[in-house]
Amino acid sequence: MALQGALAQYQASMGLPAELRAAPLALVGFSGLDLVNNAIHKAIWDTFHNRSERGAVLYQSISNTHKFPVLKPRRNTYDWYIPKGILKRNWLAKHLQQVPALIAVFFDLDWKEPQWTEKMIECASKVQSMRAALEGRDTCIVVVLIQSQAPMPEDPLAAERAVALCSSCELNSQSLYVLPHGQHLSGYATRLENAFLELCQAYYHSCVRSIKQHKEHLNKNAHQSLYVRHQFKMGVLSELRQDISAAHKHYTLAYSNLQEIRVVDTNALEIRTVAGFLNYKICRLLFALNLPRDAIGQFKAHIDRFRARIGFSELVFEHWAWLSKQYEIFGDTFDEAVKLGLPAVQTQHPGIYYQQAATLAVARKGACLELCARALAYPHPDPLEGAESMEFYGQRPWRPGKVAAEPPEPQWESSGIQAIQYLESQINHSGVIISLYGLAIAQYKIYKCPRTRRHLVLQMADECFSAQDYGKALTLYTHMLADYRAEQWWGVISSILEKAALCAYLTANVEDYLQLALEILAAPVLLSLDDKRRFYENFNRVLKRQVPFGDPKLAHEALQTAIIQWQPVLGGAALNPALDIAQACLDVKWRFASPAFPVDQPAQLALFIRSTCPFPLGATRVAVQVATARASWDLDVCQAVTFQRDAIQRFTVEVQAEVADIGCELLVEGVTVFMGVAGQSEVSLRFRPPEGADERPELSHFRRSRPVGHFDAMQSVSRALVVPRDSHLGVRFEHAPPALVGEVYDIAIVIANEEACAISELRLLVSAEAAVEFSSDASMRPEKTPLALPLPPTLEPGGVATARLWLRASQPDIKAVAVRISYSLTGERPVVCVMNDSVTLPIVQPFEVSAQYLSGMMQRVSKFYAGERFAVMPLVRFLSPWPISVEGTALEFTHPVRALEDAQSHLAGSVFNQDEVGTEVVLAVCDRQADQNLVVGEYAVTWQRANGRPTTTQVTLHGHHCDWIPLTLELQAPAHGLVRTPMIIQYQLTNQSSHLVRLDVGMEASEAFMFAGYRQTVAAVLPFSTKTLRYNLYPLLAGSVALPRLVLSLPQHGNEGPALRPDQLAQLIERTIPCSIYVMPQVKGAPPLPALTA
Amino acid sequence: MAVCAAIVGKDNSPKFFCCVNPDEELAFQFKVLSSLDIIEEKLNPTNKSASDNRELYLGQLYSLETCKIYGYVTNTKIKFIIVVDSTNMALRDNEIRSMFRRMHSEYADMVSNPFYIPGEAITSKMFDANIKSIITGTV
Repeated sequence: MALQGALAQYQASMGLPAELRAAPLALVGFSGLDLVNNAIHKAIWDTFHNRSERGAVLYQSISNTHKFPVLKPRRNTYDWYIPKGILKRNWLAKHLQQVPALIAVFFDLDWKEPQWTEKMIECASKVQSMRAALEGRDTCIVVVLIQSQAPMPEDPLAAERAVALCSSCELNSQSLYVLPHGQHLSGYATRLENAFLELCQAYYHSCVRSIKQHKEHLNKNAHQSLYVRHQFKMGVLSELRQDISAAHKHYTLAYSNLQEIRVVDTNALEIRTVAGFLNYKICRLLFALNLPRDAIGQFKAHIDRFRARIGFSELVFEHWAWLSKQYEIFGDTFDEAVKLGLPAVQTQHPGIYYQQAATLAVARKGACLELCARALAYPHPDPLEGAESMEFYGQRPWRPGKVAAEPPEPQWESSGIQAIQYLESQINHSGVIISLYGLAIAQYKIYKCPRTRRHLVLQMADECFSAQDYGKALTLYTHMLADYRAEQWWGVISSILEKAALCAYLTANVEDYLQLALEILAAPVLLSLDDKRRFYENFNRVLKRQVPFGDPKLAHEALQTAIIQWQPVLGGAALNPALDIAQACLDVKWRFASPAFPVDQPAQLALFIRSTCPFPLGATRVAVQVATARASWDLDVCQAVTFQRDAIQRFTVEVQAEVADIGCELLVEGVTVFMGVAGQSEVSLRFRPPEGADERPELSHFRRSRPVGHFDAMQSVSRALVVPRDSHLGVRFEHAPPALVGEVYDIAIVIANEEACAISELRLLVSAEAAVEFSSDASMRPEKTPLALPLPPTLEPGGVATARLWLRASQPDIKAVAVRISYSLTGERPVVCVMNDSVTLPIVQPFEVSAQYLSGMMQRVSKFYAGERFAVMPLVRFLSPWPISVEGTALEFTHPVRALEDAQSHLAGSVFNQDEVGTEVVLAVCDRQADQNLVVGEYAVTWQRANGRPTTTQVTLHGHHCDWIPLTLELQAPAHGLVRTPMIIQYQLTNQSSHLVRLDVGMEASEAFMFAGYRQTVAAVLPFSTKTLRYNLYPLLAGSVALPRLVLSLPQHGNEGPALRPDQLAQLIERTIPCSIYVMPQVKGAPPLPALTA
Repeated sequence: MAVCAAIVGKDNSPKFFCCVNPDEELAFQFKVLSSLDIIEEKLNPTNKSASDNRELYLGQLYSLETCKIYGYVTNTKIKFIIVVDSTNMALRDNEIRSMFRRMHSEYADMVSNPFYIPGEAITSKMFDANIKSIITGTV
């Protein structure tokens, strides 16, 4: 038991004492609170103690009988004082936990208390007794009155009694506080706490000052350690008053003072320990001051300074332990700072220090193994006795408080060293190292160093191995293998494999051992041939159920234990380990012969197996697993083969997919190679398809330079698509393209069975893009798409079936009509076949229709006049390459245009070829004025192609706008005249307005005619009436002769009629009056005169 | 003089590795692997600090107690790594830089060799001797 205690003490002495690690908080003592019996007191204590945003204060409840540490008498001179050490062990704890900076005396007292005087005296006595207990320490004392009522402002009674109370307690008025315990307790607590903190800081400040005064009494020669001690104390006190920059200054001074002390064997440990403490404090404060670079710099300087100071050569491990601990502590400090928000980077983070700590811990372990072997027993009497109650930090228990100059006592010295060596040998070094690696690994993971992390894991595994935790080491090794494999660091892999195989051997782990052995036998693994041979033999031995030979490097005992472990494993029931192979001495590749296979043919899968093992490997069986979404197959590839080094074996298997697999992928799930003895110990190696393409595209060009079929250049092809079998149907489309817009177009689909056997379940589906109507019948009944066309369900070989399809398009375009024919072959196995075909169909307009508008004089017009007739002349220009016969045409006029005659179609019955134009004329009149272009009417053409169905195409004819003038003019004349035979012509002037129209009418003379009638007159045309001007003409010349010109003009005066402009009149005449007439010559002889008619 | 040089491919697999002291090869391999972490981070395109991509020399990657590691990356992401003993103060940044440049040109010559398949480990004895003489400073 005593030894356990000593061991714990020894281990603790390496690290930092708890009081140093604790965050320095101002200590405030609460006296007069009865926490057990008084609920109010308990509530007050809890409020202070459990506040969430508590300041840098530590509350301590102090009982009435509390004993404070005794105050040492002040020293006026240090002349004869020789310090025995640097830092006293009890000082920190004393100030952090035992001597409060402030004591608050709580007392229940209301201002309106009836027995005021008694209570006041009681309170004063409490204060006095507390003061007595402190025995002259400068600790502040304040009185807090617990009152049930909230204080009233300007209460004269309160003010008077407060003064009385202060004077009786010998306190100044600032030291009296009132705490109403009703509502808002936490608010009062916050304010009180702030007041307390201020007083505490004043107290600690005065402490610092009093220590500073000592400095004058010291001299450098005798009191070097006091310089350090005082600066350290001032540092701690500054920290207590939360002045961290002052604290940092004091600690730095302490550290530099410490370096001035001469190091000898006897004080080396103490100086090292104290330096560690100071360094810890400095680094921590630098991080708190947000100076991480300075902290790291300080730590590096610290390490550099102490790295070489090894001390006792018998206790080298102590030095390594201390260094390791320094790194670990710094790592912790760093990590703490990071958790508080310091950003760390990849090259500077806590993990680096943990890693160093681990490395040094390994060195410590090595030194321990070397030095502690001789320390077989703990010496008696115990040289380390009283180690936990030493006065100073870092001194040897067997010579406490010795001044550096005194020579050590050899007897005690060696006994002490032996004790430490013994304790060291009892420590679980591996545990320490592994936990440090664990910390480092976690940090490296955070800072994105996967490879460094892996290395650390391997080092951890090495440590586990040396701690004989082979199982854990094996797990760690095998987990790391995959990553190294991915980056192909074969040197590293080889070393891992060798160690992992050793672990597997020592734990008798058959599966891992076999798997590792297979991987070791692979060519890229850089092990000597002898080693490989050993693994090869062992592999075969395990398959034969013989204990494998161990590594000759292993110790004899370890071998024995391993053999004992192997025996039950190999002697047990059937041994059929299944191994998932990522990398082994067999390389397996496979490829489907083509990316798609028709369902009626078996899919060809080629398998290539190459051995890189230097020795022949025998397999009992090779199987391949292929699957689709529906089913899976396990196919035997071959039996009993032997793989020779670098020889490539090629196997072929066939997979027959089912009809239901059409559209699915055939997927090679893996290849399994069986080795060993079937039924007894048969190891199955499962090779899975590689994930992703490992080929790098930029290098594929170079790879191609290898001979085709080279194993390394080969890519596994694990997927093949199952497709329907190729169809042998003959499909022909019989039709006469192009299709014409609007016509019902007929396509005959002729299907000829050219298969070897009869087919059944014949179905034909038609689909096309939008804007095409389909029908399975000539009436163009709407049907849903895709359209199934009626067909006979079966077809004998050589048989022909025809399906007819009618379609109609409304736009000229090029459409693809897709046809899908599905059927099944009636062979021994029903095989579904699908054939897709399509026909591209140009669709053109049969003709185009334009219209011309003519005046009564058959001249092109660009506007209509209301009430004046005009001619509509539709022109139909035929575009179809096929002749088109027109059944009929019709012109439906739209109001206000109406026909002037019952027109009959002139085009009906004609046949037109391409580029021919058909035209006809219809007279029409517009009744109303219109400002916009008029729609004259709908022109409907009913047409058909030869042997086709009649189709009616309607075209809208667009006309011109329609003007209105009040006057219309008409000439009534015979179709022709005869020379020297009189004839009568009449000009009819019609007034369409409700006003009188006056016109000057004139008739110009003509050489061709003599005429009778008004030469010049004024015509007054009454509203809605017609005025007729008659002339009797006597033609003098024959031919097409100009008529005498009619001149209409507006009278110059008194024109009150409707607006008529001279240009309108001129246009009217030009439009409506022919300017010439045919005059026939006289017939030879004397024909009878025709009757004059008008 | 440097103690170790390595050429690592785009996929971080080793293409060439040479060590002055062959017994320490494994330890150096781990060091080189660790420094690849830093290189990867420096090459990470999301990392803004990787500013000038024309500069191939990455500078010092790691400074361990026993050695300093320097890195250099070609445009095709071939990484060159040189390990220098930390006690060796004679090698300045400039010397390291020129060492890398000579290594790079040796590598370029190697890639131009029609008998070398790019992407595979370099096994040429000539190349090995040339790199060794570069890092030991006997050129």
